[in-house]
Amino acid sequence: MKDKNEIDATGPRRDGDHHQEDRRLFLKQSLAMTGLTLTPFSFFNAEPDSYSVLAGNADRVDLSLTINGVKRRLSVDPRTTLLDLVREQLGLTGTKKGCDLGQCGACTVHVDGQRVLSCLSFAVMQQGRKITTIEGLSNGASLHPMQEAFIKHDGFQCGYCTPGQLMSAVSCIREGHANSEAEIREYMSGNLCRCGAYPNIVKAILAVKTSGQSV
Amino acid sequence: MANAHQNPAEPHPSLDRVDGRLKVTGAATYSAEYPFENLAHAVLITSTIAKGRIRTIDAKAAETAPGVLAVLSHMNSPGVPAYGSVKLPAERAPVGTAFRVFYDEFIYFSGQPVAMVVANTPEQARHAASLVHVDYESEKHQTDFEANLSKAAVATSVQRNKTSPFQDYDRGNPDAIYTAEVKIEATYTIPTQHHQPLEPHAIIAVWEADDKLTVYDKNQGVKSAQGNLAQAFKLPRENVKVNSKFIGGAFGSGIRVWPHTVAAVLAAQKVNRPVKLVLGRELMFTSVGYRPFTVQKIAIGATKDGQFTAITHEGTGQTSTYEEHLERTILATRAMYVCPNVSTRYRLLNLDVNTPTWMRGPGDATGMFALESALDELAFALSIDPLELRLRNHADSDPERHLPWSAKSLKDCYRIGAEQFGWKNRILEPQTMKADGMLVGYGMASSLYGFHRHPSKAKAVLLADGSVVVQSATMDIGPGTGTAMTQIAATMLGVNPKKIRFDLGDSGLPDAPGQNGSSTIPSVGSAVHAVCKALKIKLLTLAVAIPGSGFADVRPEDVTVKNGRLFPSADSSPGIAYTDILKHHKLTQVEVTEESKPGAERDQYSMYSFGCHFVEVHVSPVTGEVRVKRVVTCADVGKIINYKTARSQSIGGVVGGIGMALMEESAMDHRYGRYVTTDFASYHIPVHADIPQIDVFFVDQPDPYVNPIGSKGLGEIAIVGVAAAVANAVFHATGKRIRQLPITPDKLL
Amino acid sequence: MKPFHYLRPTTVKDAINALASAPNARFIAGGTNLIDLMKRGLVAPEKLVDINSLPLKKIEQKAGFVRIGALALNSSVADHTIIAAKHPLLAQALKAGASGQLRNMATMGGNLLQRTRCPYFYDTAFPCNKRNPGSGCSALEGINRLHAIFGFSEKTGPPTCIAVNPSDLNVALSALDATVVVQNTQGERRIPFADFHRLPGDRPDRDTTLEAGELIVAVDIPDAPFARNVHYFKVRDRASYAFGLVSVAAALDLDNNRIKTARLALGGVAHKPWRLFEAEKMLVGQPVSETAFRQAAEVAMRDAKAFEHNAYKLKLAPNSIRQALTLAAGIS
Repeated sequence: MKDKNEIDATGPRRDGDHHQEDRRLFLKQSLAMTGLTLTPFSFFNAEPDSYSVLAGNADRVDLSLTINGVKRRLSVDPRTTLLDLVREQLGLTGTKKGCDLGQCGACTVHVDGQRVLSCLSFAVMQQGRKITTIEGLSNGASLHPMQEAFIKHDGFQCGYCTPGQLMSAVSCIREGHANSEAEIREYMSGNLCRCGAYPNIVKAILAVKTSGQSV
Repeated sequence: MANAHQNPAEPHPSLDRVDGRLKVTGAATYSAEYPFENLAHAVLITSTIAKGRIRTIDAKAAETAPGVLAVLSHMNSPGVPAYGSVKLPAERAPVGTAFRVFYDEFIYFSGQPVAMVVANTPEQARHAASLVHVDYESEKHQTDFEANLSKAAVATSVQRNKTSPFQDYDRGNPDAIYTAEVKIEATYTIPTQHHQPLEPHAIIAVWEADDKLTVYDKNQGVKSAQGNLAQAFKLPRENVKVNSKFIGGAFGSGIRVWPHTVAAVLAAQKVNRPVKLVLGRELMFTSVGYRPFTVQKIAIGATKDGQFTAITHEGTGQTSTYEEHLERTILATRAMYVCPNVSTRYRLLNLDVNTPTWMRGPGDATGMFALESALDELAFALSIDPLELRLRNHADSDPERHLPWSAKSLKDCYRIGAEQFGWKNRILEPQTMKADGMLVGYGMASSLYGFHRHPSKAKAVLLADGSVVVQSATMDIGPGTGTAMTQIAATMLGVNPKKIRFDLGDSGLPDAPGQNGSSTIPSVGSAVHAVCKALKIKLLTLAVAIPGSGFADVRPEDVTVKNGRLFPSADSSPGIAYTDILKHHKLTQVEVTEESKPGAERDQYSMYSFGCHFVEVHVSPVTGEVRVKRVVTCADVGKIINYKTARSQSIGGVVGGIGMALMEESAMDHRYGRYVTTDFASYHIPVHADIPQIDVFFVDQPDPYVNPIGSKGLGEIAIVGVAAAVANAVFHATGKRIRQLPITPDKLL
Repeated sequence: MKPFHYLRPTTVKDAINALASAPNARFIAGGTNLIDLMKRGLVAPEKLVDINSLPLKKIEQKAGFVRIGALALNSSVADHTIIAAKHPLLAQALKAGASGQLRNMATMGGNLLQRTRCPYFYDTAFPCNKRNPGSGCSALEGINRLHAIFGFSEKTGPPTCIAVNPSDLNVALSALDATVVVQNTQGERRIPFADFHRLPGDRPDRDTTLEAGELIVAVDIPDAPFARNVHYFKVRDRASYAFGLVSVAAALDLDNNRIKTARLALGGVAHKPWRLFEAEKMLVGQPVSETAFRQAAEVAMRDAKAFEHNAYKLKLAPNSIRQALTLAAGIS
């Protein structure tokens, strides 16, 4: 279990490492002891495939989930992200791909009511969950108060980050983090906007929050 | 002082964005979002070396991977007809050759497209792309700007063109700088910075027939894209359709048709299916241009009371080995202030990189960072208030062209900005203002941007129900083109904006310039103005023909409009409804098309927009972190069409300028000639928490000479000067002059 | 991305067995780093074991320690009443990291395993010892503004890796002397936090001492008197949503303005969270004072060494230590 190379590699070569190193060695010894006080887990030697819950093949996995109130039964490539599922397969292109690496917030959707990044989640991991995309934010023809506020306060220019900003803005209020301009700015910082609509977005969120409307 | 949380009142009400509902509901359709049966997905493979040749491409594993339709490269490209065939022996492209994708084996920059995988699904395409193995033969590359600066030279295109504005320029005595009473001299460096719009560049290419191409492409000019693609594929122009109705930001990255667009068109030809290509964020650093790395040396000489006696400005920008990208870097210095002796020099440095392109405020944002920083340095040297120094050197007419300004209210901008900001509370001496343990700095800078107007056409159609459709092949990359045009048409025609539809972003519409150089409102706004005027006259003619209508002998200039009705004068009669005019003549619609273009006024007046920015920063003495606490910006761009969208555009420019000043830097590892900043985690743009409330003011007076609507563009001037204002504020807070952007904490510690 | 088999076990036992039977299998929880790595081809599991259905989300007060389940979300931990009351340092560190969305996805266990953000690690066109041992460290003579000033070895040649651990959570857990609880087919193993993350040594590819097939099930934080005088101080290139240039977790137990116990750890300076044991020792018994804090910072920095672009950290780190201690002590 011990990596002896590691001890060599981190040997006490400079004064500053001594304290770290001494402690490491001490902890390694105590670790070795705790390692011995193992709880017996008899079940760990079961045959490898008895655990299988959802042993899909690498091509397709069945998936059922609810998107914007509609229950869907799908078959997906396990590699498909939630973002690519809604955009490429379901035609819900309101959710945007800005970076595909979880660094811009354009792909923000709600999963079971919580804002998350759909680009950093595989679709297959959403089994049984309720997804809300921008297309499901408004109630039929009438816009969500946050959508109204974005229009009124001009909280966008090109519109590409807007669905993500909106989904995040709604969560920001629901999470209780929209009590001041400063707090809104901090809790909305995961949503980049290159057009620079930030001040107007903050105004829109604050307006909805202070109006007391249900979000 | 203005309450930082309140925006100034609007003099006239603004229309909400006409496409607002589409954008907030996710119904706005961007280039990658058009559904097609049988759509194939493409992924680009790009070079990992900066210079050399492709030795071999092993695509066997990729070609046999599930779902793969083709692996495209120079080995098997159907070829772009305009490229011609490769002449043997193959040679590297000479300067002035636009990059030819999948053409030959030469590598010009790291990140160059070398192959493309097309497959049934995006997942299959991405996986197959990872299976393609490209073997290169490397050559020694040069990408380090500062290390190669001595090789910079006058661009060959400038050498050939004796009237180029980039020729060496001397006004007065070029040696006057050496005898100035007071002189400052400094070198300013701006690293490569990238547009990075939130929407990555994307295209769906569809060959409708062997000689008919349709593309849904992210670009800033459907007409120029149409022309470029028609030329590249040797098709009649009308056989190419370009659709770009919604653009998720561009800031200049969409002005050209880039190689990846051509690559997708080739792929669609190869697999005979619609092909979609969406650039990954990392490819957005090497595929669609950037603001070039630039070094500028400025010297300003002045009298002791701050009158400029000489300015010299030398600027050198980066370009690729195959193309020369020139921008205005040193040009503003000739026109901005009154000064008898001005010299400018402009040089280019060819490196093994991709070609830069225009990025918001191209050249001027770069040059004015240097000039306006240098002015601040001189103000400090002279112990003169920086605003006062600018007023003492205000140019009442264009000192370069010796022409009157068409309009200039820069002094009003200074006054409004200073009052609203509370500039008078600034203590002259740096490092004297503090708050909550932070060093406080006030900085300001001027802004200017040249006026651009291009010939534009617009069509207006009045329908039997009184609604109006206005069309022009203009674009909206974000500023709200459709909203402004609707507002112009609504005012001109007296029609409720809700009954007006404005169509844009389609190459089938009447000719209009691309959206660049802040030219849309001046050009297309004038065309919409003209076509609405023409429609009004046509309606008058039709009304005159209606017996008893009361329009006989009415002069067109006396006609007024309101609520969809035509009135013979401002104060009389019930008038006649447009719908009744059509009904009487049994017309289902009335249609007019007009062109509007600039005339001789350009030779009589010098045309610029002017403005200024005031910035307060707080700098942590512990960490060197800079936070912008408030900004007041004021611009004179002639008449404001829509305050709401104009204000947003100004705010956006300031936000871009804050990014430019404080965080944006595309860093390259020159050992590999390759960027290490390849995503939004390593290339920082401002987030919500970086941006305070920003107060925007406009002089809002029509410029009488630029065009019929009196409006100049706003997109560029909004960012020009912002970086200098921030840097000047940082100096005021800390006493440290940072001449190399971005101003990150390490530079202030 | 290479195709993979997807499994979603519902018990810890099944999850561990799923990995035990496949050498190239990986657990996935929040996915906020793993999916990023998979997209870039840096990790290519044949089997992906989704552990989100395991019952490992609880945050509980136990006898003498708080146990945080490995699947507790960063946002749940940051907003939890037990954490707010007993370990506000942890809440501060969590809120200083990532974004609202990411904190709703990222789990406690996953955060411990977050890979470095060194750009050379992420781009396969560059040599990188962490990605491809033996290929070289590109950062060493490359662009190393964000890199380590502690913890790399020059004993047997140039440092193998100067990447830093990017996690804010780890810095706080290091200061709080947490224990990582893991399970493998043999049973449970408890790893003291200081031993969980590794220095690069000659295995820069290994960030932690977690063995193949082991599953993190919880993090235990021993009860400690750090409910009040704590501060997580983070310096970054922009105001939010950025990895730290330097961060400091500081916790003090004060008795009438005298320091009874001190905990200090640095982030953004080494391959692992960098606990400052000697500075802590130096502070014990001292009165709260600028002098004491300055001395602690000096002690902390004794063996720091900078590279071409990160010399600023030699000043930023001690400044930040002093500031964090000052804020933790509640003096201005």
